[in-house]
Amino acid sequence: MRSSDHNGTVLAKSIEEPVEISSVGTTARPGPLTANLIRSIGIIGAVSILPLVMPINIATEILIFGIFAMAANLLIGTAGLYSFGQAAFFGTGGYAAGYLLAHGWTSLPLALVVACGSGGLIAAAVGILSIRRLGIYFMMLTFAFNQLVYYIVYSWRSVTGGEDGLAGIRRPVLELPFVGSFSFDDNRSFYALASVLFLATMIVLVRMVNSPFGLVLAASRQNSRRTVSLGYPVPMLQLVAFVIAGAISGVAGALFAMLYRIMPIDSVHWTGSAYVVFMVVIGGQRNMLGPVIGAAVFIWLQGLFSLVWTRWPLLLGVFVIVIMASLPNGLVGFVSKLSSWTVKGRGQRQC
Amino acid sequence: MVVEKALLKVDAIDAYYGRSQALFGVSFDVGRREVVAVVGRNGAGKTTTLRAIMGLNPVKSGAISFDSTRIDGMKSHQIARSGISYVPETRDPFSLLTVEENIMLGHRRGSPYDLRRIVEWFPDLAGLLRRRGSELSGGQQQMMVIGRGLAPGPRLLLLDEPSQGLAPVVVKKVGETLAALRGEDLSVVLVEQNIGFALSLADRVVVMENGIVVDRLSSIESQRHPERIERYLGIH
Repeated sequence: MRSSDHNGTVLAKSIEEPVEISSVGTTARPGPLTANLIRSIGIIGAVSILPLVMPINIATEILIFGIFAMAANLLIGTAGLYSFGQAAFFGTGGYAAGYLLAHGWTSLPLALVVACGSGGLIAAAVGILSIRRLGIYFMMLTFAFNQLVYYIVYSWRSVTGGEDGLAGIRRPVLELPFVGSFSFDDNRSFYALASVLFLATMIVLVRMVNSPFGLVLAASRQNSRRTVSLGYPVPMLQLVAFVIAGAISGVAGALFAMLYRIMPIDSVHWTGSAYVVFMVVIGGQRNMLGPVIGAAVFIWLQGLFSLVWTRWPLLLGVFVIVIMASLPNGLVGFVSKLSSWTVKGRGQRQC
Repeated sequence: MVVEKALLKVDAIDAYYGRSQALFGVSFDVGRREVVAVVGRNGAGKTTTLRAIMGLNPVKSGAISFDSTRIDGMKSHQIARSGISYVPETRDPFSLLTVEENIMLGHRRGSPYDLRRIVEWFPDLAGLLRRRGSELSGGQQQMMVIGRGLAPGPRLLLLDEPSQGLAPVVVKKVGETLAALRGEDLSVVLVEQNIGFALSLADRVVVMENGIVVDRLSSIESQRHPERIERYLGIH
């Protein structure tokens, strides 16, 4: 079977190599190898340059919230689950790891495993009770659970520090056999740790979104009942995605606690859940780069506006409204649209 | 008419929409490699019957067995995994996914039908695999969703009004493909209002009216006595 157009060429290839469901996502979605390579080099380059162009703690914060926003985008952008309770998992991971680090357990793997496990565990509990609810009911349930976690943290003063937050958190240590131990007390080494975790999270989430699992989540976002009748246990798969996002949010929370050596109670407040949704919306939900860009812009603007006016949240609100009204696909969507216009324009000029 | 060793056995099922009863003791069988057409006017209960088989409409009484296993009460995804595919009247393409993704979403390991096979049946899809589901015409969408229904390698295909809203030339193409599937180990329940289309493919015809099975005919009977069907459809 032959076809003269581009699609035909692609098809000819797919027909010669029968596609199995296990490989569908990876064959159909990402662009050519070179484009992926350029994109990867660009991301690694940007992560390397970031601390040179801004205070290192702000750069680290961008990576941490980038991780948090990518996890939220697995739910929002891929599965279509608009959770307004992600701060609960961020906070749980931060408090759990922070508690260990403040009480003499300084092992990095232990802190990360506990953060990941506690975030995932709370997400499983919340998810089991809310995943079958649709639309606004799902949003409200996740929001309500967020508030529940907030009040537990607020009231459990002996463990969490209550209103004052959990203080006295120490940076972790990584013990490697035959090599020695690495301390992350220095901000540059801590940035390197955050970079490694950020890139690892991005690789894992991009692969997940492009896997058959991600394809089923994307299909269920469009028509859940039809996806079920194709033989997929959609609520179970959505729950798995919710737990994964919760676990990754927990890791982001742990990094945040390590960065500032304190876990403030604000980190578990529902506004944190709203902020991460804003980050996803500002950057765009189409791919995992969008939420990272959203996180960077959000954190940068937060700093900028707070210098300009004490009522800075008002300016931030106006910015989010403008983005939502004018760029429904976020900044990344706008940039790709702009580049496609440029390519079209060049094509027309050449004609 | 009872089929020896039926693949699908629908036995006196009642189904409701809320408090309103839609099916009243509906019974019929489908044998292996058999095409059974279910015909009737709008509101006769044809789609509800398919949805009940698929577990999308709960069955209040009666039984549905597939390959000698009770499937009424099972979850929809479990029914699909047992070997039944449902192609709905509304088609429901995943509009943001590509044609290839739409088709392969239905694929399961061990299925005899890979992408190459499905495109051989629907060559019109050949140049469209990278297009989004929303970018296709009605006929192309219909071919895509039938392909999606075949991708898991089902033993029973439930087709709801596959000719609806399609140009006659496209209906002919779809009919030819369905006829070509006769060589496969596949049974089909075909719900149709287009009687000519249904009779050209069916081994047997089940006629429904107001949620009740009112007549059953073999292919020969339906061709010799079309008036038996037509009177229920209000053609005369």
